This record gives sequence, structure tokens and C-alpha cells, in this order.
Amino acid sequence: MPAENTPPSGGVFLSIRQESSPETDRSIDADCPNIENRPVGRTDRNADEIEALYRQHGAALLLFASAMSGDRARDQDAVHQVFLKAIENGSVSQAINKKAYLFACVRNAVLNDAKVQHRNMPLDVDSAWFSPPDRDYAGEQNLRRAIGELPDDQREVIVLHVWGELTFSEIADLLGVTSNTAASRYRYALAKLRGSMLAKENSCADSR
Amino acid sequence: MQTPDDEQFEAYLKRFHPIAPESVPTLSVGHSSRRSPPLGIWLAAVAATLVIGAVILHIRNDRVAVSNTVTDAAPVERHAPSDPLTIRSANAWLAKAPSFKAAVDELAFRSQTSPLPQGKQSAVTVLSKEKIRL
Repeated sequence: MPAENTPPSGGVFLSIRQESSPETDRSIDADCPNIENRPVGRTDRNADEIEALYRQHGAALLLFASAMSGDRARDQDAVHQVFLKAIENGSVSQAINKKAYLFACVRNAVLNDAKVQHRNMPLDVDSAWFSPPDRDYAGEQNLRRAIGELPDDQREVIVLHVWGELTFSEIADLLGVTSNTAASRYRYALAKLRGSMLAKENSCADSR
Repeated sequence: MQTPDDEQFEAYLKRFHPIAPESVPTLSVGHSSRRSPPLGIWLAAVAATLVIGAVILHIRNDRVAVSNTVTDAAPVERHAPSDPLTIRSANAWLAKAPSFKAAVDELAFRSQTSPLPQGKQSAVTVLSKEKIRL
């Protein structure tokens, strides 16, 4: 995944994990960005908050993880691990932007995966990612395929913006790029996605 | 700058809702099991224990009282009839006695409560004085 050398535009977190080489030793404990180094510990209120965040953002987080690695089972484990750690250390409660913080944690967790680091093959999109509206299973498959064909950086941005509902500023902080870069990637991704899906639909229509 | 086409396409994409992940085990089960019972539940458990203990104690006291009542009543009932024994009085005495043996023993060894007429002696007294050669 190409790393942008431009500094982040603003601070959602106090410090942000930057992409590093695969040889960097990472552990699941270090996935979430460091916030003030204040251990909070587990409390019932913290667990309730985490549960609410899981219900609210779990689907989008899993989609984001799947868009990065494509292994649905591993991605689900990564999301679960992030939330379990959040319950234990209570760091989410200290985050300014909890949703963006969780996306950052999931991104780091997926990047920790050796399989992703060494992936040189196209994204595996066999498992369904979306609930198809009006039982449009063909549309869901078409969308999934089109997302999988996008470059990694564009794929991340479009998932974070459309389904994660993060702003370009938040995406920029998360990815370590500028807002303009994030917006630019999004435009390219949207155009490519639309073109790919329309082409597929037209080819299906022509074949009938 | 997004074009109307972009906004339209974005709205189309958002119709596809991401599938939610499975429940995190800790959140659904472990989460509740790790919780310690609230103070109210502890107090209720203590109160229930005290109530049960009081009920058991009350039951035991009642049983002791009943047994004491029976015990107290028995000596009254165990006084053998002082009137000359008839079949009727013997039957009534046997009905009241705690056991047949107790009834017979009481009858046999009952104390003399009624004084003997003047000039009369009991056979047991007389025989006890005589030296009987066998």
C-alpha cells in the first residue's frame, strides 16, 4: 500500500500510527492509537458504551476490514479483537472522535495481518458484503466485484466515506494524508466504480 | 466538488447496507457474567437468608413447645385412677397411657393416695412383716 509522505491535515487523535514496513513488530495491543497513556480499565459503563458503538458501527467496520483484506472470517476476528481490547482498556471513551478511532484501530489490526502485508493477489470477494436492496443479489455481487477491482487506496477512501460516513478530514487523519488527497481519491474511486458497474450491467443486458 | 450524478450514485451505493458482524461473545455473554451483582441483589439475598433462618427457628421452637406440651401433659395423664379399678376405668386408663407397659406399671405400683379405713392394713404391708418359711 503506497504511503503518502505529506503530513496529516489535523489531529483527531493525539498520535496516529503510521504505516511501516512488514518487518515492524506489531501486536494487537498496539493497534489502537495511543491516547494520553491513561489506563481506564474495564467498567460496566465502558462496556455498555462499547456495545452501543459495536451495534452502531460494527457493520461498516467489518466492510472496511473486508475491503482491505477480503478474508471475511479474519476480518470479523480483527473487528472483534478491537472491541474486546476497547472493553478492557477503555481507551475509546477518551477518544475525541470514537467512530474514527475505531476505524483506525480496525485498519491497524488488518494491516497487522501478515497475509495482508504479503498479499499480491486481487481481493477475494466471494462472500457477500451487503444486504441487497429489493433482493438485488446481482447488484450486490456487481458492487462487491467493482469495489474489489479498485486500487487499495481508493477502495479504502470510498468505503470510509460512503458507508463509514467519515468526512474527508477524518479520513485524511486516519490515512495520514491531506483532505485534498482523500477527496481526490474518492472522486477517482466513485468514477471508476460507476463505470465498472455500468459496464457490467450493460454487458449483462447485451447478453440477454 | 460533487456533481449531481455523483450524489445520485452515492445515494444508490448507500442503499446497499453492510452486513453486520456476528456478536462478540464477551459483549453478549461474558460481559454480563463478568459483572458482579449489584448491591441491591446482595441485600435481597441477605434478607432472604435471614427470613429463612427465622422461619426455621420458629418451626423448631414450635416443635419444642409441642413436645414439651406433650411431655407436660403425660404426667397428668399418667396418674393412675385412684378409685377402685373397674373394666371401664381400666379401658379409659389404657387409652390415655403412653404405652401398655407404662399403664400396667402405673397400675401395679401406684401410690396409695386414699387412706385406708381405720383398723385395716394393706396385704403387702402384712406380708412384708411375716417371716415365711418355705
